[in-house]
Amino acid sequence: MSSIQLEVLLQTLISGILLGGLYALIGIGMTIIMGVMKIINLAHGELMMVAMYIAYVLFSAFHIDPYLSILVAAPALFLLGVAIQKFLINPVLRVEAIIPENQVILTVGIGMVLANLATIIFQSDYRQTPVPYATKAWYLRDYWKDSPVDISLSLPWTVSFTVALLITAGLWFFLTRTDTGKSIRATAQDLDAAQLMGVNVQRMRVITFGIGSALVGTAGCLFIPIYYIYPDIGGQFTLISFVITILGGLGSTVGAIIGGLILGIFESLTATYIGMGWAPVGRFMIFVAVLIFIPGGVASLLRSRKLGK
Amino acid sequence: MKHLAVAVSLLFLFGLFAAPVLAADAFDLVIPLPLTGKPAKFGEIMKRSYEIAAEEINAKGGVKGRKIALSFEDSTGKPEIARSIVEKLIDTKKQPIIVGEYTSSCAKAVAAIAEERKTPYLVVASADDDITQKNYKYVFRQNQVNAHYGDAVVSFLKEVVKPKTIAILYESSAFGTSGADAMEKDAAPMGAKVVVKEKFETGAIDFKPLLSKVKAAQPDVVYTVAYANEAQLIMKQAKELRIDMKLYAGGAAGFAIPEFIKGAQDAAEYVVSATLWTPQLKYPGAREFADKYKAKHGDYPSYHGASAYAALYVAADALNRAKDWTADAIRDALKATNLKTAYGPVKFEDKEGYQNQNFHETLAIQVQKGEFETIWPKSHASKPYVYPVPSWKDRK
Repeated sequence: MSSIQLEVLLQTLISGILLGGLYALIGIGMTIIMGVMKIINLAHGELMMVAMYIAYVLFSAFHIDPYLSILVAAPALFLLGVAIQKFLINPVLRVEAIIPENQVILTVGIGMVLANLATIIFQSDYRQTPVPYATKAWYLRDYWKDSPVDISLSLPWTVSFTVALLITAGLWFFLTRTDTGKSIRATAQDLDAAQLMGVNVQRMRVITFGIGSALVGTAGCLFIPIYYIYPDIGGQFTLISFVITILGGLGSTVGAIIGGLILGIFESLTATYIGMGWAPVGRFMIFVAVLIFIPGGVASLLRSRKLGK
Repeated sequence: MKHLAVAVSLLFLFGLFAAPVLAADAFDLVIPLPLTGKPAKFGEIMKRSYEIAAEEINAKGGVKGRKIALSFEDSTGKPEIARSIVEKLIDTKKQPIIVGEYTSSCAKAVAAIAEERKTPYLVVASADDDITQKNYKYVFRQNQVNAHYGDAVVSFLKEVVKPKTIAILYESSAFGTSGADAMEKDAAPMGAKVVVKEKFETGAIDFKPLLSKVKAAQPDVVYTVAYANEAQLIMKQAKELRIDMKLYAGGAAGFAIPEFIKGAQDAAEYVVSATLWTPQLKYPGAREFADKYKAKHGDYPSYHGASAYAALYVAADALNRAKDWTADAIRDALKATNLKTAYGPVKFEDKEGYQNQNFHETLAIQVQKGEFETIWPKSHASKPYVYPVPSWKDRK
């Protein structure tokens, strides 16, 4: 393998890992909502869109850095998520409906309303936050002159990736070490048992939806310096997080990270060695393969290993 | 209270009578274009330009003494919607001429309907070659065809850059594919070998794997055909990867609008793109239109705007010359068009297998210090070109 080929391979892997980290953060919110409530939140991408517009408005009106706007967007999205759960999903959960899974259909409706509201408010223009560090990158050759290969590491992508990891670690700590976190996990594992043990299940659901929304809101703020926004952007991310949720295993945070990374690396490798047009095809091939061969996702593999020993 | 009720009903009655009187006086022209959805940006530029043109034409007396009353219908960039809008305009509104649309796929749908219902259609900014290759009698295109979009860039490459190898990246749309195919055909006479030809989906996030592949192939030139956002993402990520080329070139659209420079910032520097028009051209009225647009909307218009602006003049000119407003009279008038517009001379010809096609001179622009400058052909140049281009490392 010549050095240029090695360089292409390494650069592809780095791109894949960075992309995977972002995917993981987008997917993680959906996966915890899925774990606790057993419903797929199909308005997930639209919630991300809302956060991106918050970051955009803060940037264009007050010149607040998109990374700082996480401090505004995440709490705002938490409240939005809480409101959606409390006033829209909970009432629907209580009624007997003719159609099964009517809460899922409700989330589709919520997503449409959000996307159309955004179209009314912001028009369908593409918006972006041109930050000065958007194309900043570190290069291996700047630090090590005689390096046989030159690898670059983009600053905004790396920041997003690092924050994604930190947040995931924080979330893991919250779920395993705090009282509320344990109650959420209990609700996810066995609803009736949790209720019998005195966990306020309704409250846990509301909190979970809030956290899930805040997480995807954070992802939106991390994403906007490297991408752009328009009102219909949500759909593609709902789809990606859905694939990650299935791939990682419902409700598993670690699974979501591994799922996101697998997806990111797989897409990058496909784009380099087969063709960029094939990346979406590959994504859904993974999706179908996981459903058939490992229906529990990565999480079930991890679990069976542990139990096997 | 009673007075108020009377006043309101009077107003209402007056409104009822007044409306038809006004309508008979003004000439209603409904223009289909994308105002929402992905191509909305271009639709907006064109809408504003049509409005400026209508204002000017009306100030000079309108068409055959009637003022133009412009309105717009949003086709959202979807051919089926564009089609149904135009069906309505022809069948129920009896609009004598159709002007508008942006994306090639929408224009194709509209052209088919216009031809079927024998209504003249002026294609404004859609480039896919085969719109005017189908022996349509009622379809006229003011815009250059995609096969010639790159002409100025190709001649610039041939005479200045002289590349041995070229990589072509394009988005998987009608516009992207035909633009890439045209460049592939132009590469051989230039003496360049196409080493990479790759397509990508719109909405893609990470172009680095694709760009790494380009880097490995080490071409002299990369030519990319993309709409708005992919163009700037590709340039940003090319800068991140420090992929040095003799030249980065783009095929109009996303590379030739102000958003490209705003989004890609310093990564846009020295990129050469095909375009059909710039405010720096010495056509009569070009500068005035550009300044008027900038004063109103804060930015210079891209070629899309100039094309729309001129299209309304072309349509008004044909309507003025037509002896009556039957389809055939308007068609004959359009066919006889010989007009000098702000967009350049407009004349509809049958040649090279195209019908009713305006062969418009194309240009090459280069981003220099954050501004588009016309660099090729030399007769139109506003600034000398910068070549060779400094490597990414040496830029500060």
